Amino acid sequence: MMLTKDHIGGLVFLCLSVLYGYYAGSIHMLPGDEFEPFTARTVPYALAILGAVLSVGLLLTAKRSVENRLSLNGYDFALVAKLLLLIVCFGLALEWTGFMLATMLFLIAGFWMLGERRIKMLLLVSVPFAVSIWFILAKLLDIYLAPGQLYMQIFGG
Amino acid sequence: MLDGIFTGLSTAVMPFNLMMVVVGCFAGTFIGMLPGLGPISAVALMIPITYGLDPSSGIILMAGVYYGAVFGGSTSSILINAPGCASTVVTAFDGYPLAQKNQAGKALALAAYSSFSGGTIGALALLFAAPALAKVSLSFQSTDYFALMILGLTAVAAFSGKGQVIKALIMTVFGLMIATIGTDTTSGATRFTFGSLDLIDGISFLLLAMATFALTEVIMTVLKGEHRKEEEQVDMSKLGSMKLSKEEIKEVAPTIARSSVFGFLVGVLPGAGATIASFLAYGLERNLASVKEKLKFGKGSLRGVAAPESANNAASTGSFVPLLTLGIPGSGTTAIMLGALIAYGIQPGPRLFLDNPDVFWSVIISMYFGNLVLLVLNLPLIPYISKLLIIPRPILIPMILFFSITGVYLVSFNTFDIHMMVVITLIALFLKLLEFPMAPMLLGYILGGLMETNLSRALMISDGSLAFLWERPLTLAIISVALIVLIVPPVFDLFRNRKNARGPEAAINEGEG
Repeated sequence: MMLTKDHIGGLVFLCLSVLYGYYAGSIHMLPGDEFEPFTARTVPYALAILGAVLSVGLLLTAKRSVENRLSLNGYDFALVAKLLLLIVCFGLALEWTGFMLATMLFLIAGFWMLGERRIKMLLLVSVPFAVSIWFILAKLLDIYLAPGQLYMQIFGG
Repeated sequence: MLDGIFTGLSTAVMPFNLMMVVVGCFAGTFIGMLPGLGPISAVALMIPITYGLDPSSGIILMAGVYYGAVFGGSTSSILINAPGCASTVVTAFDGYPLAQKNQAGKALALAAYSSFSGGTIGALALLFAAPALAKVSLSFQSTDYFALMILGLTAVAAFSGKGQVIKALIMTVFGLMIATIGTDTTSGATRFTFGSLDLIDGISFLLLAMATFALTEVIMTVLKGEHRKEEEQVDMSKLGSMKLSKEEIKEVAPTIARSSVFGFLVGVLPGAGATIASFLAYGLERNLASVKEKLKFGKGSLRGVAAPESANNAASTGSFVPLLTLGIPGSGTTAIMLGALIAYGIQPGPRLFLDNPDVFWSVIISMYFGNLVLLVLNLPLIPYISKLLIIPRPILIPMILFFSITGVYLVSFNTFDIHMMVVITLIALFLKLLEFPMAPMLLGYILGGLMETNLSRALMISDGSLAFLWERPLTLAIISVALIVLIVPPVFDLFRNRKNARGPEAAINEGEG
């Protein structure tokens, strides 16, 4: 049997709808809610049923042509994974190194990953950019940007 | 009505709001020019900035960005044959051949004049259509609102599904499911939080919009390897004159008038939006042209540039009608604006006209200013703005990523949101690879809470009976329209497929006729 994009999507949403419906059953109800026409579980149950019906509908009407098969050739998944990991690291760096340093490191690493190798370019773009954004936010707009735990531990705060 | 117009005018002409229009148009033009980033991403990127502004200024800024992005998209379509957004794909059909004949300046000027005319006619029509519709919709009850939201969701699913209505409907349900995460407003029960305190308030609209549009669109260009492409070198010396001759103006004037009215009407339909309007206007113009003129289409016809450009701007304006009067977005971009308005505590819909006349009218009036700014300021600056196209992608992409992430972080100051964005982006990428549309999901999420509130109210009043769906004629009428909107596209597709099955030649002959 040929597995196309529609089949994969249908199966994924069918599983999601079943799981969603299963967890909808664990939503806490107030005493006496069972006699009410509308509770916190009403919409989730309706959505679970609707989602399952539509998923089955997609599975039954799925296109079976070769061009509808999921082809992953030509996509740069490794680079995307690295960029997403970089975003996660940026989130962690914001807490530890503070906004300005985290921004500089994020931009330098981002430029590098996407193929920019000139050190001068890496520094000349990221450093002024990070400093000016920090200045606009912290000084002009008066937004409090925490200095980062590392800074606090070294210099106290 | 006159009071309202004056209130709106006085709000719109405030120096700060005028500045917002100018900033919005410039920022939108720049973002719209970048291939891959369209009006939806441009408006999504502006949300964090608007959070610090009052509602009128925020929406005026977003409306400016919207127009600017559509205009910017046509600039890159004409100059480098790389449409910035779907609604300017058609502009490239004739705009780029004109640029190849060293008439890029003429094409750009024509695009700007057409956009201006389309936007102006659209703004004038909005001025009269919106209050009239708002007055009618004041008699709406919770059952009608529920039915309207069903209509909005089905319309967006039907139009943005590109022939795959089931996929679009699944995405709508997915959006509604996401909307149930967090604390239920009616009962106070927590749902699908799995014990996480970070999910008690649910997933924020800003986070979802930024992750599914801005972040996913940029990551998608990286996934496809488009960042490795050489930056387009725009030769400014080949722009040519930006002047149109009298004969040329005579030739395109009827086209602009026709396409503007047509575009506005298409834009008013919930879910249709600028893309469909531009394609239909181009098709209409081609069919109306003489045999000799028809041959020019696709090779640099001025009418081929004027029609989609007038239509997409008029439709952008038209899509504000259902947003401002019924609270139903006419397009993906207005869906984001709806979310932003709700975040401000403003409920778009019939009451907006009465409760927040300053927002209602200042948005309409600032649209006109927006079109004026695009014509007077942006057009002469195009040779300079288009230089931005030469910024290397490896530099530009991390910066856009940075703005998307920090936009969300600076609202919540919670790094959990950044990690949540990564998770949502991964899911959105997977769904995009499977060709699931994103706009219905976002609309489902935005309307989910309101829909649940109205449904609960309607069910409580009718004591749990679903009879409210057909007892009130107005509710029944709206539900019937929703069903028609849902059923017509698949039936239309079925007929088209049958026609094609009879043989491609037969289909072409019928199409030409």
